[in-house]
Amino acid sequence: MSTPQGVTISRTGETGAFGGELLSVNFGPHHPSTHGVLRLIVDLDGEQVRSVKPVIGYLHTGIEKQMEALRWQQGVVVTDRHDYLSPPINNLAYALAVEKLLGIDVPPRAQALRVIMSELTRLSSHLVWMGTSGLELGAMSMLMYCFRERDTILDMNEEISGFRMHTSYIRPGGVFADATARFLEMLDAFVRAMPGHVDEYEDLLTMNPIWRSRTIGIGRLSPEDAKVLGATGPMLRGSGVAWDLRTAIPYSGYENYDFEVATSDLCDCYGRYLVRIKEMREAVKILRQALDRLPDGPVNVDDRKILPPPREELETSMEAVIHHFKLFTEGYSVPPGDVYVAVESGRGENGCYVVSDGTHKPRRVKFRSASFVNLQALERMALNHMVADMIAIIGTADTVLGDVDR
Amino acid sequence: MIADNLVVERGVSAGDAWITIDPANIRAALSALKDGGYRLLVFLTCVDHLAEASGSRPARYELVYELRDMETREHIRVRAYIDGDPPRADSVHDLFPPANWEERETYDMFGVVFTGHPDLTRILMPDDWVGYPLRRDYPVGGEVVEFSEEHEIWQTAPEKA
Repeated sequence: MSTPQGVTISRTGETGAFGGELLSVNFGPHHPSTHGVLRLIVDLDGEQVRSVKPVIGYLHTGIEKQMEALRWQQGVVVTDRHDYLSPPINNLAYALAVEKLLGIDVPPRAQALRVIMSELTRLSSHLVWMGTSGLELGAMSMLMYCFRERDTILDMNEEISGFRMHTSYIRPGGVFADATARFLEMLDAFVRAMPGHVDEYEDLLTMNPIWRSRTIGIGRLSPEDAKVLGATGPMLRGSGVAWDLRTAIPYSGYENYDFEVATSDLCDCYGRYLVRIKEMREAVKILRQALDRLPDGPVNVDDRKILPPPREELETSMEAVIHHFKLFTEGYSVPPGDVYVAVESGRGENGCYVVSDGTHKPRRVKFRSASFVNLQALERMALNHMVADMIAIIGTADTVLGDVDR
Repeated sequence: MIADNLVVERGVSAGDAWITIDPANIRAALSALKDGGYRLLVFLTCVDHLAEASGSRPARYELVYELRDMETREHIRVRAYIDGDPPRADSVHDLFPPANWEERETYDMFGVVFTGHPDLTRILMPDDWVGYPLRRDYPVGGEVVEFSEEHEIWQTAPEKA
């Protein structure tokens, strides 16, 4: 086996700035604070970081290859699983791409339900981030508080889709099922309670001296660097660039909601924390508006070629039986062409590039994942920091390794 | 923005504007587009048109670059068809830093060699992997599962392994 270049090149033995020797240290892949299986090869000068080389691929599952073997409507299930902290947002990117190729628009109620699920997912993703980052940086109780609210969101996922995590709720042509009355009650109670909970998190962290000293001035990323390195999401907004796909290139009716794009000019780990806190408050605002203005009507396109007929029609209509049979044996065909649709996930721009050759399976599906691109900025942020600060930097980059490796 | 002599063909697919360029002009075309405002490389990938390689498509591998202008919010998709064994194209990692890992991934998955790339190694698959998994002639389920009945090392006696 040949020596892999750029991965195992060690600078051990070179002289560092303090007269000592550089030391290459392996970090991960199973370090508990790497949020998955991220491996880093770090050159240290004393305790200062001189270079960081991420080694990824430990969670590679060949999702893009699997998509080519699945029919269009089956692919939704796979999209759930690459960024495993935000399944409905991944579903949405795929569904919007397929719908754009098919040239169909979903009814307003489905759009509003998609927005509701996206914002709930953003909240739960930020809650996992805050809980685990707090745990790593010494605020142990954060995990309990954050997972308490996340569990409420998972209960709502279960109520609306039958699944707690991998919901497959949003699919081409609409959504899995209409919201139940109980779901709307749960959502209403959640939206009422959540602002108070966000205040609780802020009480625990915003002025917490340990949290502040671990994050302020750590992991600086200038706006120019963030743009050049292609960073998106809280990484970019934490550097003061007000770029959010929900307002920049609106999708699924986001242009009808009134909310602010959270930014922070601090450009460090603390700035990214403030952005996420603000985003949680804005997500609650969007949920309130969506709930108050939830339109009536169907939640799926009225097209039997794309979605199966209702169960009761199967007993009375021969045509419905034929449609049902065709859909579940062959699936539907999508006109040839290619399309790229991007949505804003909790981590940044999660896009889906789909190529159709006119058959019932995609020729190529490429997921543009925010984590994969954001992780390339890690070295820029960690350079010349103490090795212990790497934990804060990896934490606030908020990469999900399933999304990096796909 | 981009000189017409660089563009082989242009069109719109499902609302997305695209142009096709000669693979020899990848760097010239992308740097012209970058100077014209398309500063963000959203993604870079490859599509394997194995079945149509000799028919409606000029070559088997289609490189796709999606660029975005952050001010006007416009997208443009740049395609280049390449062939050969291995297929070769010029690297754009110095024009667009995110292309560094994306080119490594395209090399890893399709075997496209990007000349001028500083560190063209496998990124997602193990370093000793054989074959390029996202090519259309690479079968799903073709790899041996570790610790399964078929696994060679599992069947080899410990003293011979």
